[in-house]
Amino acid sequence: MQFPTRTSPYTARLYRVNQTMGWVLLALLPGIGAMWFYFGWGVVINIALASATVLACEAWVMHLRKRPVGPVLGDLSALVTAVLLAISVPPLLPWWMTVLGSAFAILLVKQVYGGLGYNAFNPAMAGYVFLLISYPVEMTAWIPPSVIQENPLTLLDTLRIIFFGTLPAGLSWDAITMATPQDLVRSELELKQTFSEIQQGPLWGGLGGRGWEWVGLWFLLGGLLLLYKRVIRWYIPLSMLGSLFLLATLFHLIDPDLYPSGTFHLFTGATILGAFFIATDPVTACTTKRGQLLFGASIGMLIYVIRTWGGYPDAVAFAVLLLNMAAPTIDHYTQPRVFGHQRKGEL
Amino acid sequence: MKQHPIRHPLHSAAARDLNTLPGGLLLADHKQLSTCRPLAASALPQRLIIPMQQHIGQPCEALVQVGERVLKGQKIADAPGNLSAPVHASSSGRVVEIATYPIPHPSALTAPCIVIASDGEEQWCRLEPLRDDPTTLEREPLVARIRAAGVVGMGGGGFPSSIKLTPGSERNIHTLVINGVECEPYITCDDLLMRSEAARVVRGIGVMLHLLRAERCLIGIEDNKPEAAAAMQAAVAEQGLPHTEVVVIPTRYPSGGEKQLIYILTGLEVPSGKIPADIGCVCHNVGTAAAVGDAIFEGRPQIERIVTLSGAGVVAPQNLRVRIGTLIADLIPQVGGYTPLANRMILGGPMMGFTLAHDQIPITKAANSILVPSAAELPDPGPALPCIRCGRCAEVCPMWLLPQQMYWHIRAKNPEKSQAYNLLDCIECGCCAHVCPSHIPLVQYFRFAKADLRERAAEARRNERAQQRSMAREERLQRLEAEKQARLAAKKAAAQERIAANQQVNQSDPKQAAIAAARQRAAEKRARLAAQGVTPQNTEALKDFQQRQIAAAERRRQASSGSPPAPAEKP
Amino acid sequence: MTMTPSYSKLVKDGLWSNNQALVALLGLCPLLAVTNTAINGLGLGLATTVVLILSNASVSLIRNWVRPEVRLPIFVLVIASFVTAVELSMYAWFYDLYKVLGIFIPLIVTNCAIIGRAEAFASKQNLRLAVVDGVAMGIGFTLALVALGAMRELIGSGTLFAQAHLMFGETARGWTLSLGEGYQGLLLAILPPGAFIGLGLLIVIKNLIDERLASRPAAQTRSAAEEVVTTEEKELETAGRKEAQA
Repeated sequence: MQFPTRTSPYTARLYRVNQTMGWVLLALLPGIGAMWFYFGWGVVINIALASATVLACEAWVMHLRKRPVGPVLGDLSALVTAVLLAISVPPLLPWWMTVLGSAFAILLVKQVYGGLGYNAFNPAMAGYVFLLISYPVEMTAWIPPSVIQENPLTLLDTLRIIFFGTLPAGLSWDAITMATPQDLVRSELELKQTFSEIQQGPLWGGLGGRGWEWVGLWFLLGGLLLLYKRVIRWYIPLSMLGSLFLLATLFHLIDPDLYPSGTFHLFTGATILGAFFIATDPVTACTTKRGQLLFGASIGMLIYVIRTWGGYPDAVAFAVLLLNMAAPTIDHYTQPRVFGHQRKGEL
Repeated sequence: MKQHPIRHPLHSAAARDLNTLPGGLLLADHKQLSTCRPLAASALPQRLIIPMQQHIGQPCEALVQVGERVLKGQKIADAPGNLSAPVHASSSGRVVEIATYPIPHPSALTAPCIVIASDGEEQWCRLEPLRDDPTTLEREPLVARIRAAGVVGMGGGGFPSSIKLTPGSERNIHTLVINGVECEPYITCDDLLMRSEAARVVRGIGVMLHLLRAERCLIGIEDNKPEAAAAMQAAVAEQGLPHTEVVVIPTRYPSGGEKQLIYILTGLEVPSGKIPADIGCVCHNVGTAAAVGDAIFEGRPQIERIVTLSGAGVVAPQNLRVRIGTLIADLIPQVGGYTPLANRMILGGPMMGFTLAHDQIPITKAANSILVPSAAELPDPGPALPCIRCGRCAEVCPMWLLPQQMYWHIRAKNPEKSQAYNLLDCIECGCCAHVCPSHIPLVQYFRFAKADLRERAAEARRNERAQQRSMAREERLQRLEAEKQARLAAKKAAAQERIAANQQVNQSDPKQAAIAAARQRAAEKRARLAAQGVTPQNTEALKDFQQRQIAAAERRRQASSGSPPAPAEKP
Repeated sequence: MTMTPSYSKLVKDGLWSNNQALVALLGLCPLLAVTNTAINGLGLGLATTVVLILSNASVSLIRNWVRPEVRLPIFVLVIASFVTAVELSMYAWFYDLYKVLGIFIPLIVTNCAIIGRAEAFASKQNLRLAVVDGVAMGIGFTLALVALGAMRELIGSGTLFAQAHLMFGETARGWTLSLGEGYQGLLLAILPPGAFIGLGLLIVIKNLIDERLASRPAAQTRSAAEEVVTTEEKELETAGRKEAQA
């Protein structure tokens, strides 16, 4: 009797890439739901726009490279990029900016380097930074959370704003949009307000920005799901949140009026999202255990530095991109000891 | 490296604190498939195809001729030197052919085999049982008996056991590790051996302990084989083996790897590139221990082994006691034949075995298991996707390597860089490929790159030797040249001396002197005539018409030389 | 002794196959810094070209009198002299452009393309060849600068040849082309990262053209096309890896 041959091992494989990516998408859902609740339909529309763009771009590049399209779209990695980008940009961003950012992320950040597994930078964050430095005005125009909105926008209003830039009758652009808590704190601090005074404002909740804190908590839930399913490891999120919290607390203790508290830093902006979903992107993060600890801690530190002394509203994207650049070097110096070898080549 | 103090060997298994293996996998073991049936003897096949080399080392030469009758247990092939093991006939019959046949090999190689047509009489050759207690004997005769019985490692390596039992005086062996772990899924041959013939195993262990002068013996058995562990414990107690302990270890693949098992049981790491004996440990498989016992006490050669036949592709999976040289095709009917699901044939386990292209392949001393899985049991992983560097492979690697980085450099055609990540320490256990979400055949990449590295190293060594040879040659040539020159110079000097001597002789010889004088006179005369303008023409004695003819020829010549130059010389 | 190249080869090298900006990737500092508009690119490109021609000529003339040990300082000295001359000339006649280009005119001294040509070519060839090389290389560099500048200007602010009057006088004010008032510029293109991405895209376009030209005779056969694809992919992969290692 004849049999086909193959190389070992012959066992059924435990994981699949699209399964991993699928878990990430699933774990994002609670946070996305919270964002939809607080910031309206724009979030959902952005996700749809970005997803359509990335799929079209990937398909186009695969066509150019004369490779089958199915497996590449099927690995779901582009969708993860799309969703991460879409929930990072303001909900009322003009449609073409979302499309442009997504296309940039896929074409110039991911596929030019060779596609999944070869990109040096996190595509979603590179796309976000691309938009931020190209269109700073639009990219900083967030809307206030629905709980304090005077005129909540309907789905139709949102669609009109995103696709045609037409505002609902009787409303000005300034009436709809508002700075993020992060931005607010920065500008108020510059106006010589103290942190405790700022906290009295209407944008303020119990932990961080109003609405934002809940979004952060729901993303935290998703992150815990990923940890539980062992899709990600705890090294990067914990070291990143830990270093950010410690630094913030340290400065807050030194001068509580000038430096916001640790909890504020954790529950505003994209901190939680970044810790569990962005910095943990395996392709662009460190791959050794100690490397991941160093990677996460450095991101946390950079976030604090950029937020406190830098010029841009949020810092997660910049910190992640900077550490993406350092990842290969960190990996090189944090190789684990191999069985039967002495420790060597360490930093 | 941290040195663990050797604990007192008489700890109970429960009290022993084991070193947990970082990395590794918990695999579904599927051992129930074959352990639900007892160990059975296999039927005598009509034809036995016995490969002449079943060990690592020098190849064997056939000791029998075609047509010769052989007895069961008769030595039919042997090789000189220690690093080899003889081969014995596994049943009585007639040698019908000595030719190349397919052997169990990942690349489906063929090798010289002795084919015996069995006569069904199973007539043994004369065996020489040991009369004395082996512990009273010296090492040499005992080791000679083991070698003569052709015992090789039955865990899969095929290393001659006699070598491993003589580690040399410079190595002080403190621990004998007996490997009853059997961590690969499906395989149960060691389990069944320990359950049904623990006494045979333990008697071999006793001999090994004596040979190695080891201070203690640790028998490692995974906790998914409680019957085997109990049987072994009972046998150890019954035979009163000193300093020997059955240690039940947690089930985790690949705890049965030699280095892994030693680490789990003793906390000692075998250094990279070294063997266990360098840190005072020797590791033997339970099957090998049984074979050593047989060889010592009964003088019985290794002519059979227990083979697991398992998987959904056979009707009634079972362990069989198989004569070496039996074709797999002859064994399949004894487990009920193939089911329609039979999809593949694997020799060894699903993690580290290799596939066979067909079943016309003989069982050898190292063949522990034949798996015939269905497509659903061990499915094809499908095409590989790009590595996403998730690092799962590094988490499960029992050697604590970084497979993702090694793979990266191999893909970049840079095997040296992957060796910087200690590629050569890879034991090819397959854990990394098992957990890879991109389904990359990592083990295949590593095997390929290791072969490449070894080839390069061999090439470098060859080049170095060639360079040394050519330098030596150059030196030799220079030396020869110098000698030649010296000889020539000596010869020349001798010749000149001779000429000089001759000249002296000439001057004294009157005859020679007269000739020389005559020559001198003639020369003087020619010079005188030339000075007077007379050139000798040898024409004085010619007739007149001859004189005229000469004159005419002379004129013609002068006329032609006065003509214009030949056209060819025109510019 | 190096071979004497033909004039046509010199021109082809300078403009295309050994373009200092797109192939040799030399002189990237001014290339990336001033190419936010086409006119800026043109201005710096022309200044560089003048310096390149003059330095090539001088280096060629003195090549037999310069000891090899001191050649580099001397070349730099020669180049610096010409740069100073060009800078003062621009200060005199194109003051507005001078103000825009600012520090990058003196920085022409450090432009590797110029010292590279002096060292690799002019110091080994006669005057005529050196001058032709200087002209070809200078124009090739200028073209790359203008192309990159035009691309960044068009994408970044939606105009083309804005501020042409800086170079061509008041009549050139009307030359400016515009994508229209509604175009909201892409700020990234004008910022430094845009210069890197733009240069990358220019190199892509050049390689694409080269590849098309090279594969034209064999374009019919499918295997050739496939091979192109695989090499392209390999290049992409290695590029990505290099980037990652860098």
